Amino acid sequence: MDFIAYLKDQLHKHPQLLWVIYQQNWNTDFLRFYRSQTNYNISKSNHSLYLSLYKDQRNYGFTINDPTRAKIDEALKEALDILDKLPPDPDFVDLEDDPTLAEPRDVINNIEQVPLQLKSAILNRIAEAVKPHGFDIFGTFICNYGSSRMINSNNLDKSSAGSPIFLEVKAVHKDSEVTVLQNFGGEDFAKFDEEAFTAELLRKIEHCKNPVVDVEAGEYDVILAPRCVAEFVQYLSWCMDARAYDQHDSFFEDKLDVQVFPPHISITDDPTDPDMIRQDYGSDGHIYKPLKLVEQGVFKAFTCDHYYHRKTGLPKNGNTGSCLSIAPGESSLEEMVKEVKNGLYISSLHYMNFINMKETSITGLTRDGTFLIKDGKIVNVVNSLRFTEKIERILRNVIALENKAHTTAFSDNYGSFDISSTKAPHALIKGFQISSSTHTI
Amino acid sequence: MEHKIKSIIQKLDSDKIQFADARITITDEESFYFADGFLRGFSSDKESISVGIRVMIRGCWGFAGSDDLSDASIERMIKTAISNAESGSAFKTEAESFPALPATKAEYIFKPEIDPFEMDKEEKLDYLGKLATAIKPQGKIVFSMLVAVFQRQEKYYANSEGSYSHTVYYNTMPMMQVAASDGQQNQSRTWPGDMSGGRAGFEQFYLYDFEHNTERIIKEATDLLKAPVVSEKKADIIIGGGHLALQLHESVGHATEADRIFGMEISYAGKTFIKPEMLGKFQYGSPVVNIYSDSTDPRGMGFHPLDDEGVPGKKVNIISQGVLQDLQSSRYIAHKLGLEPSSNMKASFADDYPLVRMTNFCLAPGKGSLDELIASTERGYLVDFTKTWSIDDNRNNFQFTTEIGYQIKDGRIVGIVKEPTYYGITQPFWNACDAVCGEEEWMFHGTFSCGKGEPGQSMLLSHGVAPARFRNVDMIVKI
Repeated sequence: MDFIAYLKDQLHKHPQLLWVIYQQNWNTDFLRFYRSQTNYNISKSNHSLYLSLYKDQRNYGFTINDPTRAKIDEALKEALDILDKLPPDPDFVDLEDDPTLAEPRDVINNIEQVPLQLKSAILNRIAEAVKPHGFDIFGTFICNYGSSRMINSNNLDKSSAGSPIFLEVKAVHKDSEVTVLQNFGGEDFAKFDEEAFTAELLRKIEHCKNPVVDVEAGEYDVILAPRCVAEFVQYLSWCMDARAYDQHDSFFEDKLDVQVFPPHISITDDPTDPDMIRQDYGSDGHIYKPLKLVEQGVFKAFTCDHYYHRKTGLPKNGNTGSCLSIAPGESSLEEMVKEVKNGLYISSLHYMNFINMKETSITGLTRDGTFLIKDGKIVNVVNSLRFTEKIERILRNVIALENKAHTTAFSDNYGSFDISSTKAPHALIKGFQISSSTHTI
Repeated sequence: MEHKIKSIIQKLDSDKIQFADARITITDEESFYFADGFLRGFSSDKESISVGIRVMIRGCWGFAGSDDLSDASIERMIKTAISNAESGSAFKTEAESFPALPATKAEYIFKPEIDPFEMDKEEKLDYLGKLATAIKPQGKIVFSMLVAVFQRQEKYYANSEGSYSHTVYYNTMPMMQVAASDGQQNQSRTWPGDMSGGRAGFEQFYLYDFEHNTERIIKEATDLLKAPVVSEKKADIIIGGGHLALQLHESVGHATEADRIFGMEISYAGKTFIKPEMLGKFQYGSPVVNIYSDSTDPRGMGFHPLDDEGVPGKKVNIISQGVLQDLQSSRYIAHKLGLEPSSNMKASFADDYPLVRMTNFCLAPGKGSLDELIASTERGYLVDFTKTWSIDDNRNNFQFTTEIGYQIKDGRIVGIVKEPTYYGITQPFWNACDAVCGEEEWMFHGTFSCGKGEPGQSMLLSHGVAPARFRNVDMIVKI
């Protein structure tokens, strides 16, 4: 049954209402593995309908999972009963009105393209490849397929679909627990080069042969792997959102068109990059287009939805910072490593949290491969380390960027489960503040 | 539903299936979000149904979850769960198994003092609106918010051993926050902090006396703009209950989840520094540190008569007089380690896969009131209301910042400091605990958002704690 059509018919009986309907179908096939074997295989599907109603600046929303006509009737009746009794939000003006439609595209269901048998076979081969080096593999191999449709009382009607793939393999030494990781994400499984993926994992394992060492707290020149650069910028993007601006909690509050970083730092929210997991629409169904956030070190724009556009007067773009791309520089990774006399290579970050978002101060840890660099060579694995830094200072202290950017996929496990991607080069940072050691791998 | 879930189990009665269980949850949620005194979000999700089917075949788990309870959907899920287990067993080097348990049947219906789903909506909105208005921007306050989340979950569980349970729980999470700014910096204060959730209805608001704390947080947030920072490299600290609940959660709770020992969480949440050989020997904390997992205490959100693997609720001493004694485990992991299963397997909704989870994870009370503990502290800080938390993936190196610290001199509070940060390593830190307050200060604190697992799950759980003192803690971090 077309529940949206039914709901629309019901809502047309109440012309004084503004409304938004979201319909979502979501499926996942999720293989989690540990110690080079299956932990569990999950198949999951959800179908939900969300309606948000507005009347005279009063708003009420409800979700119906696995909708039926009876459930819709009951929920709508309750919503109409309560709406008049709510206090108004004087900052609400109207709903999203961007009519732009995304270019149509074919979406292949990767749950069907990459069945469990294929996943298991690939993982078996990777496990066999790392085994002679004393390593086991741990991680996840995920395929999602989702479709959504959003319509509102401003006559917007937008549909989109996506089917991201996510494979993350951590190779962990059976005794020392020294860890390296390799990641693939995208929507086209033909782009997954198993041979290259495995070779890269084995290349990283080669760096793990020397003894594990510890380092003292202090300032170090560090090379951040692309996923670390991307993750710092992801956190910074919270400060680039109109909501943070409105709440006076943004580092960029008075910095539009101000040079905040060196000229070699450019950050774009770019859903059109073919290496990224594409998003057709951003906030409230606004078309998702490339947005320059930082151009040659100058802060250019806040990500801003319709609500905060009306409230703050910032330009609306509908971007959500879900497709962040950091422009590459001019150095090769080898040249960057050679530049470092006594420093660190950081592969991955863990458990970061802002101490003070307005100041961009943050603490977190390194994970899954931290290496000591001596006289231009990676020489030892280092125990995982804690850093306490300001992201704005990290970016101010970038002295070189790699001449190519790498795609990293992230599976969002805390809020709604989703897979997104970023693109970033390696970065050489001076004076990165290591605040303590964990004394463990 | 009882018939439905039992019929699912009957359909899974097959020689090739070692073990099977099924769950159905029916969840109501209602949430309110006020910003700057205005209602910005009010939404509900009623009778949200989930079903999950889990089977073990050839020592491998397969799982299927859905929100469609139709017969056709159930048939599909059964086939998918079986197929997932069979396919997964092709990539399995160590077949899983565990001893059978006697069948247990249980029913538990929690009745809140004030049912948030039945109470008059206007009365509820009026109460919340007044609180939101009281904290709206004024003076140096530039932003304020009030959040209320109410949940009711009915759950049916059945397994192939004949166990069955039916439960209904109510959980409530209230919180308010103000942020002050002087144009240069922001400082914030929350009430009652991030661990405000509890097994309760609307009465959770009254428990924390919100009305009488609005002025307090406005004043403290404003005063923090001019407050000094901690100047000592090391100090004695008393950690208040709300924040101590998180310290316990991160550095003991997660560390003693036995699935981490085997790397089952390496891909996301991490591992642990704990090894099986430490049981009975490892001096985790000082002799005043007694920590237990207790899913039999109905006051906490971790209460259950049966966990999501059919293990009856139980109290397990994790740390006794400072020594590590036991772990939180699943049936398979417990069997592998030679332990009794601890009744810690939980999933947030029925279509989520059960994981080793904290239930009611508690620090046992010691003696004396908080006032007495402050009076016996020569110099130091009372720190509370979490601002930042972070711990490494072995649960060894932590760093926390709280919103406020109350400076103690000669047994009295003499002023406040902003954003006190302390850090340490788990074992020496808990061994530096020299006092835990008594029963009169002990209470449950709870969260709605403990993240673990992939696909990710946010778990509701509780920590019973009383404020405790830790000596000579590292305090200053260069930023």
